[in-house]
Amino acid sequence: MPTSILGPYTRTILTGAAIIGLLLFSFTYARVSVWIEVQPFFEWMETTWFGVIGKTWGAAFAFIEAIHLIGLALLGGSVIVGEGRILGFVFTDIPARTIIDRAHKVFFWALMTLLATGVFMACGVAMKIYYLPVYWYKMLALGTGILFHFCIRKPLLQRELEKINPWVTKAVAISSLMIWFTVAATGRWIGFSG
Amino acid sequence: MLNELVYNFAVWLDDTRWSAMLHESYYMYNWVESTHVLTLMVSLGMLFLIDLRMLGYALPDVPASKIADRLSIPMLVGFTIMFITGISLFYAVPVRSVQSVWFRTKMVLLVVCAVNAYLFHNRMNESVSSWDNDARAPSRIRLGAGLSLGFWTIVVICGRFIAYDWFDCDYEQSAFIEFFAGCVDGQERF
Amino acid sequence: MNEENQNDAQIKDEQTSAILATSTIIIFFAVYWFFQIQSVRELLELAYG
Repeated sequence: MPTSILGPYTRTILTGAAIIGLLLFSFTYARVSVWIEVQPFFEWMETTWFGVIGKTWGAAFAFIEAIHLIGLALLGGSVIVGEGRILGFVFTDIPARTIIDRAHKVFFWALMTLLATGVFMACGVAMKIYYLPVYWYKMLALGTGILFHFCIRKPLLQRELEKINPWVTKAVAISSLMIWFTVAATGRWIGFSG
Repeated sequence: MLNELVYNFAVWLDDTRWSAMLHESYYMYNWVESTHVLTLMVSLGMLFLIDLRMLGYALPDVPASKIADRLSIPMLVGFTIMFITGISLFYAVPVRSVQSVWFRTKMVLLVVCAVNAYLFHNRMNESVSSWDNDARAPSRIRLGAGLSLGFWTIVVICGRFIAYDWFDCDYEQSAFIEFFAGCVDGQERF
Repeated sequence: MNEENQNDAQIKDEQTSAILATSTIIIFFAVYWFFQIQSVRELLELAYG
């Protein structure tokens, strides 16, 4: 099997680079200049079919938002069950492999529901959320959550669990719970802002 | 007459000091509402996983009775928190809540969900030993699970719609809406 | 044997990247929520004295 050009610690190097890149982006002018660049995109979002429907019919927007909440419930449930098994809170008599793999399937479809309904809602209130700092905090947390789940957590937990340091899996579980709680909380906070 | 009784009770609640404090608080109402919404992840999250297991869409290789048994405790903890925060939200704005068609529908559906859950639980306990390890439960159990998913989805939708004032009593409404919402002729509080 | 060594090396890489990511996440979110709670306390003090 060919080895990576970055050597045996490819994933670690890429993770470190991503973290440094994200921190540099967040705490420098790069963030502001990208924010200015994406304004036309947000203006365009309001003119789309989703945007027009969301702005014209409050009932449609509210209905989609309720489906967003159903997706949130399922995502929360799958995260609680999956991470709870890793932390030893639930289903301790069921193999962790079974719970982790099955909970991931529910997580995936819940995330797809949330993304689809989230895009619809964003189109309806695009210029409002463009100027809301908490919306960007949510997008940062969401992006971090998705990258963490699919690039760090999933590859690690696909391995034989006996070969992984249990403290590492616990740290992964705690991080996952923190990220998705923050996504949910900042999402709720958007409703109170603006 | 029942509508007037309910309206008068809501006005009495609205006049209490704590109701005003909660409604006019800087953060408390928002925190109570946020807790109510975020606890969905615990209560409905567990409930939906149980229902999806019965339908064969989630955790199919885990025994159904184990799913129902283990997840019911966090589910009930979640529902307790939602019940407490729900009562608090109602108490903060009692008149508008009690005259909201969405609130009334939600309350009726909560009772329907409770009855469905009771029947589902009994049916499951009677027969689970014969199908516990099957990926999908028998059709009667699946029907109960499907109804549960449907009813709870409508509960969430109604809960979201409470914030909208399309059918509020302080606007001109049809006779049916006025009856359903319990609007009282000449009412001064909304 | 070579495949097993490669497998162990990949697991080590994935564990190290997980440690790096989780420690960053836990520290960041602890700091973030600390400042959020702090700003809420200050606002409440301003509002209610």
